[in-house]
Parts: sequence; structure tokens; C-alpha cells
Amino acid sequence: MPTIEIDGKALDVEKGKMIIEAADAAGIYIPRFCYHEKLSIAANCRMCLVEVEKAPKPLPACATPVVDGMKVFTSSPLAVEAQKGTMEFLLINHPLDCPVCDQGGECPLQDQALGYGKDISRFAEKKRAVDDKDIGPLIETEMTRCIHCTRCVRFGQEVAGIMELGMTGRGEHSEIGTFLGHSVDSELSGNMVDLCPVGALTNKPYRFSARVWELADHAGISPHDCVGANTNIQSVRGRVKRILPRDNESVNQCWLSDRDRYSFEALNSPERLSRPMVRRDGQWREADWETALHQAVSGITGVIENHGADRIGALAAPTSTLEEFYLLQKLMRAMGCHNVDHRLRQQDFRDDDESIMRPWLGCRIEDLGRARAILLVGSNIRKDQPLLGLRVRDAARGGAKIMAINAMDYDFHFDVAHRIIAAASDLPGRLAAVVHAAHEGSEVPSDVAAWAEEAEFEDAAAIASALKDAGEDAVVVLGNAAASHADASVLKSMAQALAQQTGASWGCPSEGNGAAAWVAGCVPHRAVHARPATGAEKPVSNAMEMIDRPLKSYILLNVEPTLDCADGQAAKQAMEGADCVVALTVFDIRDNVDADVMLPVAPYSETSGSYVNCEGRLQSVTGAVAPLGEARPAWKVLRVLGNLLDAEGFDYVTSEDVKNEVAWSQMPILDESPRCGVPAPNARRRPAGALVRIADVPLYRVDALVRRAVSLQLTADNQPAMAQLCAEEAQRVGVEEGDRVSVAGAAAEVSLPVRINDSVPTGSVYIPSAWQATVPLGNSTFVKVSKA
Amino acid sequence: MGASIQHYIKSFFLWELVKGMQVTGRHLFARKITVQYPEEKTPKSPRFRGLHALRRYPNGEERCIACKLCEAVCPALAITIESEERDDGTRRTTRYEIDLFKCIYCGFCEEACPVDSIVETDIHEFHFENRGENIITKEQLLAIGDKYENQIAAARQQDARYR
Amino acid sequence: MSEIRNYTMNFGPQHPAAHGVLRLVLEMDGEVIQRVDPHIGLLHRGTEKLAESKPYNQSIGYMDRLDYVSMMCNEHAYVRAIEELLGVAVPVRAQYIRTMFDEITRILNHLLWLGAHALDVGAMTVFLYAFREREDLMDCYEAASGARLHATYYRPGGVYRDLPDSMPKYQPSKWHDQGDVDAMNEARQGSLLDFIWDFTERFPQKVDDYETLLTDNRIWKQRTVGIGVVSPERALQLGFTGPMLRGSGVEWDLRKKQPYAMYDQMDFDIPVGTDGDCYDRYLVRMEEFRQSNGIIRQCVEWLRSNPGPVISDNHKITPPSREDMKGGMESLIHHFKLFTEGYCINAGEVYAAVEAPKGEFGIYMISDGANKPYRVKIRAPGFAHLSALDEMCRGHMLADLVAVIGTQDIVFGEIDR
Repeated sequence: MPTIEIDGKALDVEKGKMIIEAADAAGIYIPRFCYHEKLSIAANCRMCLVEVEKAPKPLPACATPVVDGMKVFTSSPLAVEAQKGTMEFLLINHPLDCPVCDQGGECPLQDQALGYGKDISRFAEKKRAVDDKDIGPLIETEMTRCIHCTRCVRFGQEVAGIMELGMTGRGEHSEIGTFLGHSVDSELSGNMVDLCPVGALTNKPYRFSARVWELADHAGISPHDCVGANTNIQSVRGRVKRILPRDNESVNQCWLSDRDRYSFEALNSPERLSRPMVRRDGQWREADWETALHQAVSGITGVIENHGADRIGALAAPTSTLEEFYLLQKLMRAMGCHNVDHRLRQQDFRDDDESIMRPWLGCRIEDLGRARAILLVGSNIRKDQPLLGLRVRDAARGGAKIMAINAMDYDFHFDVAHRIIAAASDLPGRLAAVVHAAHEGSEVPSDVAAWAEEAEFEDAAAIASALKDAGEDAVVVLGNAAASHADASVLKSMAQALAQQTGASWGCPSEGNGAAAWVAGCVPHRAVHARPATGAEKPVSNAMEMIDRPLKSYILLNVEPTLDCADGQAAKQAMEGADCVVALTVFDIRDNVDADVMLPVAPYSETSGSYVNCEGRLQSVTGAVAPLGEARPAWKVLRVLGNLLDAEGFDYVTSEDVKNEVAWSQMPILDESPRCGVPAPNARRRPAGALVRIADVPLYRVDALVRRAVSLQLTADNQPAMAQLCAEEAQRVGVEEGDRVSVAGAAAEVSLPVRINDSVPTGSVYIPSAWQATVPLGNSTFVKVSKA
Repeated sequence: MGASIQHYIKSFFLWELVKGMQVTGRHLFARKITVQYPEEKTPKSPRFRGLHALRRYPNGEERCIACKLCEAVCPALAITIESEERDDGTRRTTRYEIDLFKCIYCGFCEEACPVDSIVETDIHEFHFENRGENIITKEQLLAIGDKYENQIAAARQQDARYR
Repeated sequence: MSEIRNYTMNFGPQHPAAHGVLRLVLEMDGEVIQRVDPHIGLLHRGTEKLAESKPYNQSIGYMDRLDYVSMMCNEHAYVRAIEELLGVAVPVRAQYIRTMFDEITRILNHLLWLGAHALDVGAMTVFLYAFREREDLMDCYEAASGARLHATYYRPGGVYRDLPDSMPKYQPSKWHDQGDVDAMNEARQGSLLDFIWDFTERFPQKVDDYETLLTDNRIWKQRTVGIGVVSPERALQLGFTGPMLRGSGVEWDLRKKQPYAMYDQMDFDIPVGTDGDCYDRYLVRMEEFRQSNGIIRQCVEWLRSNPGPVISDNHKITPPSREDMKGGMESLIHHFKLFTEGYCINAGEVYAAVEAPKGEFGIYMISDGANKPYRVKIRAPGFAHLSALDEMCRGHMLADLVAVIGTQDIVFGEIDR
């Protein structure tokens, strides 16, 4: 281990480290622009020049490896002079924009000009100007300000996995830009704004709306996916202005997905509901809380009296907090009803009894990045959980074999060693083939064997052996498409069989904060901590059944059933047929939901609460800002509803009380539950002439908040509802890109524009869910596509 | 002995009071320094720091670019600014308010302003009749600027070389 | 026979002779004061805490508002504390300007003290005369800083702007025609320095007038001689400074003992009293008028012949000129950062004091390396003086209390902070 000396401080440094890393570890700051610990070393800004003993000229600290006995001086006259000179050159072409630049106040260029530069300018010539680029709805550019540190370029290449920005030209003519006419479409593009040390790339929705010194920081947790990314919610005068990542190496590192970052726009949406609304005689009118609550309670009690307690049901959005889940189920069970669920998009509940106590990833998030083999089943992990996607990419870059069994060939940002692309309905068969291959002659469990009619699939054996090779360092991850698959229980059971056979771990993380819902007992068959729910022996309805066998009354917690439920059409009808629908909602959803009472509740930024992420990490936060208008945190609303319904034990003062009642510390350790037997393959074969629908939920349609985040809705990732077909299939149907097709589901027909997408296999059509245009198709697995 | 007699005589004849009366008597007939306010006013320095104004460019465009330096430097937190991107892509305020009760008229806002937009004029005769009038809005500030632009510009011109 | 007992009486906080918001609880035995209990805090604004919550420069304006009749002296102590922590060099011209304005401030303060003290004791005229002279001096304040009272003129590293070359002038009106106005503008034809020079020419005569009205006046002497006597020992023990201390015969003046700014270059004397009563303190202050006048004249002479920078050109501390700021990237960045975050000062602590008109005004400041002070303690002279009020008044008549308050030159801005 080399011993070096920085500014007279002796340090033991690992071999191969750069001077700047050693200095950072020792708390000695060396100015830098292009160096970033998560990116490769470019050494092109020259700001980190330091004096090294015996070196004839100053050396860049970021690109000079330590050598035993090295003596480094970061603030010797030579180093200071070098840094001053560098700073002067960097500022030569920098425009006098500070007053109008959003970076002003949090700008490393400013800070280092103040700390390491001269205090007057000697440059009197003309500055250069560079055209701005339109690179999408999320990032604003002001390219004249660019100092060519190439952090954004390296981020694209190295972290986000697609090189969307690059540098052209030389010397003073260097420019950062996209490929002609392209925008930056990465699902992680917002991180480039954080990385940019000047104001060249700035946050577009935040543009000009605040200054960094006004912003109050609040710790937050992002609810949109199962990662539980740590955020820093920044607000001014009670309005959230932007969201930044909060470093947490084991969860989100220093990154944040665009969905987590830009969904804040919905918090300030004009669609926010700020006063309780009640509907009387078909007319919506504003009401005070008391009136609205009493109408809600009388509606619910009326249904209980007339139809019985099992005729009401509650649906919670998976983005809710642990406390909200817990109180919702407590409220329902206090009324003698177990119809409470958050698994809105799940269609297959056959393994409910055997399922482990909460869904999880199968390993820690950090371990995912270190895995040696990862099998993705029904998972577009890059878009569905962008931060998990990053970990998979890390693993791939570390040499791991990534494999995928998917219904379409998703555009991953990592190399896929083996992939099996099959129609969605055939996925269990393909997975069964892998299980089959993994057994290599030993006896395959008969229930699995029944699925694997054609045991020999290309790549199946390769996948099985790759998993075996990696042993404990292998993970089988079931994605959103698998969890909402019509045979999800089969896929899960097979993944478990595969894991058992190969020594891999497996997991099927939930959507949003779903793990917390399981902990809190917000599922019909289990009470808190996966204890059996007393009284739940009699038939209870899960999310699917609540919709399929309509109830008389619904309590909705931030749910827009039409867009959030697996079968939106049925959900819509169920709401229309109900006597009383009480919606606890962040937004005014009267156009989407046939509700009777709308109670305004606080979104994640305005309420305290806890989140359990896909590795079981419990994270609690307090509200960042006060609720808008008369909106109240949902846990308080549920508490009052409990009081009004005379339920016992609703005397909480803080959300902490609720959390303590869930008593996380007593959580049993996750035990592997016995494998759920796979039911026999059903006869759901593809009708002649029908295509298998791929009904993924696009990443910017997952919940009510994201759907109202204006800028996210404008991104390239958020294509409007289209029928996407491969060229071959399109030819068969007789359509071309841009034509319209009529798509017939089980119950209805819709007309959609066509897009040719060769990642969709033949025999399949990708028609995204969570769009109003595709709701009438319900959850039909098979659709008929014909030219409109 | 002589001094004490002198003192006795002086004090007996109220000498020091007579001397005092002389002083006041002299002032009785001297030129009066009274300034007949409000018809007549004392002169004011071009550096005078009074009521605020927001200025415009000669083409009518408001100068303020919502950089918020004045808001940041204001020791009394009297300035409140909200900003956004205007339709033409420029950075502009949607709200610019100064609470004149909080303001301590230190002039830092004017010093901080990179575009000479917020200025302290030499107007010091203003009052409020109702609650809330102490908070002056962007429109009012711009109106003050429009009305007194010549005066404001002249004062800045006169003092330019000292700043 | 009825029982005789002491009488407790409230004096202020809204008594016309109570100088601001002073509230005294007096224990009286008939007309004789047994005990004086000053109640303070009615003007507490938390200046120290305010200063600890904002960047260094932003508190300069709050210093004006401590002793609001000796504004620039307070600023001087504050910026001197910052300068000592920073180790920044202040241009000589700025030092002369500060010396000059410190003395102008001293005259301003003593004029108000004189007027108010005499008024309290029963002499109306001096008050009016004193305010006439204050008007000229406040015009100087305004010409230099833009404000007549709360100047915010001193900055760490110098002063905000150089002294102007011209003075604003009276305009003719229906009350004064061109001829009158020409006469009124006579002293305003030249620069600010000329205006000040003219003032210093006139001022000693005015001081003579005040003295004629008071010094030998029998009523004045009856009200002040032998009132509120403090021995030199007690004065030191009680923490007296300034004229309160010098009135007791202790020759102590920071301008001589620990010279700052340009005082070591100035030729002036420290007047001291002999008896330590109100009359001696009056005489000390009257002599300070003349000494200050002399210092101002020395400064004006130097300033006239020595142009130069008035603020440090270290733009890590002081903002660049507006012209540079609009043309140079470095300057713009420094301007931006200085006006938003200010500058950081290395960890350390300092006590910087100036001889304010009322005595030793000191700032004790601790920096923890941030852009705002970790702790600011203000040493206000009036606080020590007011604490001695009980001792000074005991056994005196109620009417003498007013004379003692007057002689202490109480200003609540600094006592309550």
C-alpha cells in the first residue's frame, strides 16, 4: 500500500487510486469540474492541477495515480497559479449569465471562480456563442455556458447506457450535442442536470422558478417504484419546486430516475383537489370536511345495513404509505370486511395462501449490481424500475450474464447474453423449459413438466447453465409484466423451482410501496405481519374479484380504477354500479371515476409515512410541505373515518403511532415459503387470427401522480396509446406505420394508430395499458387486429 | 479676592443671564433658517435612499430579470419574488413585492441589482391609509419607475463614477 | 399619626424625560430617591441573534440602529471586527473618511445629548440650536451615504463610495427668492469636503453660543453641579467609558490608548473632568465638540489632497465596481456570490472596539468559518452607565434623576440591542 503525503499529511492509499481520491478520502478538497467518482476519468478540465514533488509541471490530480513516497501540494504557489490560470481560461468563453442562470448559487463554476480564480477579468475579446439544442421536455440547454467537462457524455455512455450526447469539433469549436434532431430520452436523463457543473443543462420544469438559497430541503422517498429512492424534496413557500437525489449508496446511489425527479409537477397540478366534494343529485359541489365525511360514512353504513359488510371493498394505490395501508385495512376489518387490496394490476391470485409474507427482489439492491447472472422474466427492468436497471447494468459491466424471458424484446441498456422472446401467453412454457433444462436429467417436478410441452428451447439450456455457474450470485427477477401476468402464480412458482434447482435467489418485487401493503395487511387474506386474518375464512374478494363481482360500495385510496386496475373497463362499470364510492384522492377525478364523495388527501410530499422497498428496507419520512388547501394526510382522514364509524383503536395522534402499532421490530425474518404447486396449464389457447396482447404499463402511466406530471407526459418514452406490431405482422394485417387499426378485445373494439416495432414478436401486439384509449379492451389477453 | 468680588457682582447683576439673552436676541434678528415645508424642501443628495422603484429599458421592457439577488441580499427579508419563464423564453418575475414596513432602506437591493432595475428613489413622502398597503406590488413599483424615470436616471448618472 | 412609608413610583416608559423606552421603578422617600431600578428590554430587537443569522455584510445596517444617534461609529466597530478577522487591508483614504465621519458622528451625538439634556433640565433654546447644526451634519451623512441617519456606509475593506464632488442645493420657492437661495447655497457650491470645511469654520462659534447659554448659567449649575458624583475608582469599577469616565478625571480614550483608523495621525487632546459630577461631564463633552472639530479639519485637509481608492480591491471580500461587474465574467461571479452568500471568514474570534461618542462600543465576534458569524456580542457603553443609575441617584431629589439620565446620554437602541 503506497504511502503518500498530501499537504504534509501522510496517507496510506490503495494502489491504483488517483491523487484526488486519496485527497477526498482525507478530507482535502481539490477543485474539479470533470472528475466525478461514479464516472470514468477524462482529465479534460485541468482544474485539479496540483504540484507533485519532482514533477516538472503541475499534474491533474484526477488522472495521476498515487506512487509510494509521492509528495503532493494542493495549495502551493505553483498549484494555485495553475488553478488560477485554468479558471481564467474556463471563464473566457463563459457568458455573463449568472443573473438569469438557474445554476446560479449552486454552481461549481461560480464557487471555484470565487475560491480558486482571479477576481478580475483580463479577457476583453469577443466570447463565442453556441446554438442551444432542444433535447427534450426535461432538460433545458444553454450550450454557450458549457465548459466541455463531458460529464454528461460520460454519464450517457457509462451509466445510462446510451450515448445520446457527444462532443463534436475541436478546441474552441467543441460543442456538446445530440445526434441530429434527436432528443435525450434516457429514463435517467435528469441526472445529467445534477452532473453538469455549470448551467448548460438545467432542469426544464424547474426553469426560472426559484433560487437554490430559497429552497428548503426535506428528505423524501419516491413512491413510484419498488426501489424507494431517497429524494431531497425542495420547496419554496410551501410549494415543491424540484426533487433531487439524496445519496444512499445502498438504494439509489447518487442517481434518480426521471420519474422520481419530475413527478413533482403533478404536486402543483391544477387538477389537485383542495376541498372535499360531494355529489348530490348528480351535481358535484364543494363541501366542508364534516359534511363530506358524514356523507361518506352514511353511504358506507347504508350499504352495510342493506347488503352486509362483505358488500363493501377498499382499493389502495400501491404508492400509498405503510400507515395508510394499515389504517385502511384496519378500518375495513373493523367493519367486518376483508375486501381490501392494493394489487390492482394482478390477475392471478392462486398462490395467495402460499406466498411469502411480502414481495421482494430476492436479494439486496446492492447485491443485484454484483450478481454474476441475472434472469429477467417478464421484466422491462430498465423502464419499470430504472434504478434497478442501473444495478443490472452494473452487473453486466462487471461481467455478469444477463438473460431475459420476455414477451417482447425490450431495448435494454445492457448486453443480454441469452434471450427468449415469446408471446405473453407462452412465457410460463418457456420458463418451464428453463426449469427443465436446469434439472439436467433429474426428475422435473411433474407440475412444472406439464407446462413444458416442448422442453427443448434454444437458449433454455444456456440460461440454466449460466444460472448454475453463478450459483448463489444468480438472481431470477420477475418483473411487472410477470406480476400482472394471467399466470403470474405459475411464473412465480417456476421461478422458485428454478432457483431451488440452480441455487439462485429469486424475487418478484411489487409495484410502488406494495411490500409495505403486505406488511400492513392490506391484502384480503392476511392481516398485519402476514398473520392469518381472523374471519377471513369466508370468501373474501381480492382486487380482481372486487371488480369482477361488483360490490355495492368502494373506498378508493388514490386509485383511478379505470387506469389503475388490470381490467379498467370492468372497474369502470363496477364503480358506476356501486351505491357509494368514497374516493380519497389527491386529484379531482370526477371525470375518471364515478365517485360520490371525493376527500382531498395529501400526496407523498405532504404527508408523513413509511415505505418498504423491494429489499425490505423501511424508510420513514415526514411531510415536506403542508397539504394543499383543505387536503389532509390520508392517515388522518382514515383515522377520522374510523372514529365516525365507531371503530375501536383509532386514537392515533401521529403517524408514528400507527407505525409503532405495525411494530416493525417484531417482523419475522423472511422465510422461504414452500413452493406453490403449479396448476395445470389451462386451455387458454390463442383463438385463430387473434394476436396476443402485451399490456405493459408504460413507465410514465403507472400512477395518478405520474400521469399528471406534464413534462414526463411529453417525453419520447411516453408514446400515446398505439398498437405496436412488428413489420411482418403489420404486413399480414395490411397496415403501415401511421395507419389506424381497429383492435377488438373480448368486449369492445378500439381504434388505434399503428407503429411498427420489430421488438414485438410475431403473433403479438403491444397495446399499453393505463391509457383511456385502451381501457375498453379490458384485460383481454387476445385481441383481433384489423385494418380500420 | 478680586475674582470673588467680580463673581459676586456678575451674579448679582444676572450677568450670565444677560449674556444668554444676548445670544437669543441675536438669533431673533438673524436670517431664519426655517424651510417652509412642503412648499419648499431641503435639498436631497442623488444618493438618497427612499421609496423603491422598478425601472424599464427605453424600449419599455422591464429591466428586472428575476435573478433574485436583491431578495437574497435583503437583510430584512422585505422582498418577495416569484419568477417563471415568460412566453418569449426570458426569465421574468410574476410577483415582486416589497414590504415597506420591513424594509430598512439600506440600499443593498440597488447595489446588488445587476441590471439597475430595482432602485431607491429620492421619494420619501409616502404614507399608507389601510392595512396591507405597505406591501407594494410589481405594478406599483413599475409605475413609480415610469413616473420618475428621468429623475432616477439623472441621479444614477450623477453618481455613476462613484459606484 | 399615619404611618409613613416609602413610595414606589413608575417613571416611564412613556415619560418625556425618560429618553426612549426607559422604565424606572423608583422607591421614594418623599421627594428623595431611595432606590432606582431601571427596567430594560422594551426595545430589544435581538440584533446579536439577527447578525448571527445572516451574512456578515447584511448586518451593517442593523449596527446603525443600535445607538441610533451615533450610527457610523457602531458600523465602524462592526466592520473593524470583520476586517481584523479577515486581515484585509483598508485603503488610507477610507481610513481618513472613517475618522472624519466618526468625529462628525461624535458631534451629531453630543448635539443631541446637549439639546436633550438642557431641555430636560429646563433650557429650551439650546435644543433648537443643536438641531440646527445637526441638520448640516446629517446633510453630510446624506451626501456620502444616501441616508440621513442609518447610513450603512462603512464596509469591510473601506467605505461604500467616495465622497461626492458636489452638494445638492436649495431651489428658489415662493418663500425664498433667488437671492435668499444663493445665500443658503453659499456653503454648498463646492464638494462635500468644502461643505464640511465650512461647517468646521462656523461650528466653534456655535459651541461658544451654547456655552454662553449654559456654562455660567446659575440654573444650569444648580441643576448639575454636585449631582451624580462618581469617583474615579467607582467609575472604573462600574465599567464607565467615554465622557462618563473622563468626567470623573480618568484619562482614558481608545482613540489615544488603542488608536484605530487614522487617530494616531491626528492632533487632539482628551478633556477630563475633576469632580465627576454632571457639570464636569457637561464640560468634557463641550470640549470634545472643539476637539472633534479640529480632527475633522485635519481629515478634510488630507482628503482634499489625496485622492485614491476608498475600498479594498480584494474582490473576494468587496464587490467589484458596477462597470466591471457588467463586463467581466470574474467580476460578475464575484458580485453574484458576494451579494447572495457573502464571504466566509476563517474560524477565529476578535474583539474590536471604537471610542463611540458614549464610550467604548465594542463588537466581540466569533467565526466558525461560515459566511455568517457564529456569535456576535455587542458591548454597548450605555448599558454599563445605566446600571450605575441607582448608585448615582440614591439620595438625590427626583428632579435630579432627570439630570443624571441626561448626563448619562442614554439611548435605548444600544442598551436593549
